[in-house]
Amino acid sequence: MAILELSDLRKEYHKGDKIIAALQGVTLSIDKGEFLAVVGPSGSGKSTLLNIIGCLDSPSQGQVVYNGRKLGNMDERQLAEYRKSNIAFVFQSYNLIPVLTVRENVELPLVIERRLSVQQTRQRALAMIDAVGLSGMADRLPRELSGGQEQRVAIARALVKDPLLVLADEPTANLDSHTAEEIMSIMRKMNADKQTTFVFSTHDKMVESHARRVIVLKDGQIDKDERR
Amino acid sequence: MLFTIAFRNILRHRRRTILSAITIAAGMLVFIFMNSLLTGADRAAIDNLISLNTAALKIQTQRYQNEQKTLPLTDGIANADSLRLKLLTDKRVKGATPRTRFLGQLSNYADAVPVIGIAIDERTDSTVFSLSRCIEGSYFSGDNRREIILGKRLAANLGVTAGDFITLYALTRYESRNADEFKIVGLLNTTDPALNRGAAYITLSAADDFIDREGLITELDVAVRERINYQTFVKDVKGVQQAVRRSNPGCAVDSYLEIAADYFKISRMKSMFGFIFMGFILLIAGVGIFNTVFMSVFERIREIGVLRAHGFKPAEITRLFLLEGVFTGVAGSTLGLAAGCVVNVFLVIYGYPIDKVAGDSIAGDLPVYGTIYGQWNIGTLAAVFLFGIAVAVLAGIIPARKAGSIEVNQALRFN
Repeated sequence: MAILELSDLRKEYHKGDKIIAALQGVTLSIDKGEFLAVVGPSGSGKSTLLNIIGCLDSPSQGQVVYNGRKLGNMDERQLAEYRKSNIAFVFQSYNLIPVLTVRENVELPLVIERRLSVQQTRQRALAMIDAVGLSGMADRLPRELSGGQEQRVAIARALVKDPLLVLADEPTANLDSHTAEEIMSIMRKMNADKQTTFVFSTHDKMVESHARRVIVLKDGQIDKDERR
Repeated sequence: MLFTIAFRNILRHRRRTILSAITIAAGMLVFIFMNSLLTGADRAAIDNLISLNTAALKIQTQRYQNEQKTLPLTDGIANADSLRLKLLTDKRVKGATPRTRFLGQLSNYADAVPVIGIAIDERTDSTVFSLSRCIEGSYFSGDNRREIILGKRLAANLGVTAGDFITLYALTRYESRNADEFKIVGLLNTTDPALNRGAAYITLSAADDFIDREGLITELDVAVRERINYQTFVKDVKGVQQAVRRSNPGCAVDSYLEIAADYFKISRMKSMFGFIFMGFILLIAGVGIFNTVFMSVFERIREIGVLRAHGFKPAEITRLFLLEGVFTGVAGSTLGLAAGCVVNVFLVIYGYPIDKVAGDSIAGDLPVYGTIYGQWNIGTLAAVFLFGIAVAVLAGIIPARKAGSIEVNQALRFN
């Protein structure tokens, strides 16, 4: 069942007098529980595609449909609301809030949602921290963690609210190969356990090898759509 | 969570926060110090005006008041003594004393200078005025001798001092000239230039035959009991004033507030300048906070992007940075208030020796002298505290709104 449908997505940027076409007619359907990698050279449109899927940017043309709901007509506030409930992000440079502890960082999406009680929020965050292998580190600050540990916290933060979709923009780019492998294993485990849909961009062949579906972008268009 | 993030960011950038808070605190401290000192100086000036010159209330006949520039000896208060005794039955009244003013001339046999002669009742004058506090030498002996007390500057101009004799000329009540030799028993050293340079005090009994006074009293001066709260004192003064006006419709009853209206105008302007000065200092503090919050916004653009990506609305981001401004404002205002109160405690207890700091140059220009004591003004302290916070909030609004308006994808791409 498709949770996300993109049809004829186009995105143009104006740079001075020049018009840069970042996406040129991308049509794509993503099913629930997919573990999908978007690959391609720099400037191929990977980040633009992820930003549009993540409701962080809007297409110049084309449609984005989540679970049958068109996002084209939503304003910034409605998009923020939709993002809050359905989409989670894992960033290349982790982007944890430096003044919050591991637990507080993981709790953040739940606090923003205001769906659960304080007690439930805490229990859920601690369970998620355990799930990514960081038991006993809940009260540490991000500066006291290694890069790999920080990215685990970022994954826990992304998954704690049971999102429809997790978007990861080059999640292992700043990690060594051993840690990158660990992170990918955690993401795969979460994908298998919770049936959470993962879409991630990467340059790394090892990371790409974990994906069950690989979309290759070239010059803003889908060059290859390979299922494994 | 907003509070947690805002509060911890304040602690995270301690040096920056402390500098901003200190700027606010310094502004408040200077203002509290100045305000306390100016209020204290005002209070001292008012006390001096009342105790040396105007009294709390001055009762004259309406006709005398209309002609008072020429100090005529034609319009005295009828039944002044019975009015004085009646006044003393009012619990708010501390004392009342008669005085008669006249125009005169003093001569040291070489030079002559015009003076305002003030004939006083040496037995009751001290219940209203505190001349004796400012006298170098001695007060009237009380045995009806030809004794005179002169302003110190006046004596210096004439080259005389306590113990010397001087000739006083005056027009009598019947406009004939009279002159007599008086012994200078004391010199009056106040900061009221009019008294220092041109006042000559004699007793009412000495004035009886000197100016043919024949019981004439041109003014009755009234002292009202002191109160800790100045406003209560003012209320009492106005209350007594109303009562005297009602019972003596032919009399002009003026309080020191009317007599020294010009001084109070200047005093209000002084207070206004104090507020402008504080506003200026807090404006500098506001620029500091504006800069601090702006720096904080630019340092944390990616963090803003992350929060937005997770669903924070622009208004929540704005609120987050505004809170940081508020925390800085509260910290600075609390520090300023605490420091201001500590300084004020010393000012209230030990005072500020304005004569030692400013020297003699101010003598005669300000109706205050010696040590000025600070005053507690709870209303002003509260207003200054809230003003400090308001400045911090206002200074944080623009950068906070800027933070809220940053596009998510741009914020996440920001390096």
